[in-house]
Amino acid sequence: MPDGPPPFLGTWRRVYIAVLVYLILIIGSCYWFTRVFA
Amino acid sequence: MSTVDWIVLFATLTSIVAYGLYRSRGSNTVDRFLLAGKTMPWYAMALSIMATQASAVTFISTTGQSYVDGMRFVQFYFGLPIAMVILCATVVPAFHRAKVFTAYEYLEQRFDSKTRALASIIFLCQRGLSAGLTLYAPAIVLSAILGWPDRVTILLMGITVITYTSLGGVKAVTWSDVQQMCIIFFGLIAALVVVIRLLPHAVSFPDALFLAGAAGRLNAVTTHFDPNDRFTLWSGLIGGTFLFLSYFGCDQSQVQRYLTGSSIEQSRLSLLFNAVAKIPMQFFILFIGAMVFVFHLFVQPPILFEAAEAERIQASNAYRPMAEHYSQAFDRRRQAALDLIAAHHAHDTAGETERVEEYRAAQRDLDGARDQAARLVENTGGEHGYSDTNYIFLSFVTRYLPVGLVGLIIAVIFAATMSASAGEINSLATVTMVDLYRRYFRRGAADHHYLMASRWATVFWGAYAIASAGLGRKLGSLIVAVNVMGSLFYGSLLGVFVLAFFFRRVRGTAAFLGMLAGEAVVFAAFFYTGISFLWYNVIGCAVVIVTAVAITDWSTPASA
Repeated sequence: MPDGPPPFLGTWRRVYIAVLVYLILIIGSCYWFTRVFA
Repeated sequence: MSTVDWIVLFATLTSIVAYGLYRSRGSNTVDRFLLAGKTMPWYAMALSIMATQASAVTFISTTGQSYVDGMRFVQFYFGLPIAMVILCATVVPAFHRAKVFTAYEYLEQRFDSKTRALASIIFLCQRGLSAGLTLYAPAIVLSAILGWPDRVTILLMGITVITYTSLGGVKAVTWSDVQQMCIIFFGLIAALVVVIRLLPHAVSFPDALFLAGAAGRLNAVTTHFDPNDRFTLWSGLIGGTFLFLSYFGCDQSQVQRYLTGSSIEQSRLSLLFNAVAKIPMQFFILFIGAMVFVFHLFVQPPILFEAAEAERIQASNAYRPMAEHYSQAFDRRRQAALDLIAAHHAHDTAGETERVEEYRAAQRDLDGARDQAARLVENTGGEHGYSDTNYIFLSFVTRYLPVGLVGLIIAVIFAATMSASAGEINSLATVTMVDLYRRYFRRGAADHHYLMASRWATVFWGAYAIASAGLGRKLGSLIVAVNVMGSLFYGSLLGVFVLAFFFRRVRGTAAFLGMLAGEAVVFAAFFYTGISFLWYNVIGCAVVIVTAVAITDWSTPASA
């Protein structure tokens, strides 16, 4: 079964880190949203 | 519904089924029927994974939850990206390289046949229970709109799903899911645009956000730690991670979606798409519920959103004064909302603070009147713990959305149900055929025999789902009920897969006993404690690991 590199960011490790950074940004945005409109 | 709505509904549903069957031509071997010959592109798998998870419950119940409780439910999905990254790095390559049809087949390669059989049976119990619930959700829709009996709707939906799933296999399921998700996205965007356009001219979109926030309907994140609170940042991050690890790593209804990929890369991309897209999608759905709340600040909602119960309690002597109190409470809240916007526009901070208090007090008054109506339902022979949360969005759709869009939204609910149900039935049939029938009852038969067995297993599980669908009526908030059911079993399944991947010295018997211990503790937690269901996955997983490792240590000679 072939296991090629991802189509972006070069390695899977970088893609995983990007997803986790995205999660932090999403949670931060939701927290900001909650505080602004509370 | 108008004639146009009926045309939109039937045209949408017919095209979904026809397209799925068209794309599934050639599913004439077991490999093609169950794994699509491992030819699916990542975007089809990604949308199929999303569609299988997003049942009608997601749209009916989630919007209602944000209407009454705000957007806290979004935190439930915070663990999803973490789980996806872990699965992409571990489970996805392992399953692909093992060349398995099911996740549980891998357990026999790693442990033994009894561990595989137990995991398969746990999956069949868990998915079998929720399969009926998945079909029940749209039955609420049609019974509310058309006055059809629930059973007729369940039968109609179930037979449609059985037909295309048993004929086209996983390929029909996946390509139908793709089309269903496209329709779902379109329907949701249209619903949000319409609800915002229905707001009074004096209320702008920023005003709507301000009013929803002041009433606590935009509270997406709560940071306090309370194991008994279902939706907090911590339960979402920790409990949610475990739940989604279990769901996407050990539940065949999801594993089967990404096993159809042509490569490990394609399967990983499909999961990572969900990691990125799922939280914004849930946020969006919850936001629709919050905007429906704002709409009803200015247009009086019914005292109960379930029309049949609202009509039934009108015969009670207690109804009239309660309804008058409700109307007065609504007028008070509407005026408080208008006063609050005026103070906000005037940048009158002191006045704004004062009016926020009045607005919230008016909201509590209105909530109290609705609570009285719900208790009246109970006291006049209705179900104990009655809640009309699941009817809020549908009530709004049928009363206020324009002609054509009503049919489309109803089609969205049907599409979501069919996609989730097809995925469940397809995976239940796969496990029954591969892990039980082919393993224990009929080994070494011809491929055509197993293909027919898969088709008949699909028909059996479809019929079972139809027969058990009535269970949904007794379960309150459906979205929570589905996740509670899953959490009763997922922890043990996750635990045994964690053992398989990370505890190389643990063998079959220890893993088997660990799973039994995990299930026993989770059921004890469910029946005898108030611990939130999100923690069951953590508890079950931990008990399986600790028990299996302890048995391994105890049974291994010290000199070994």
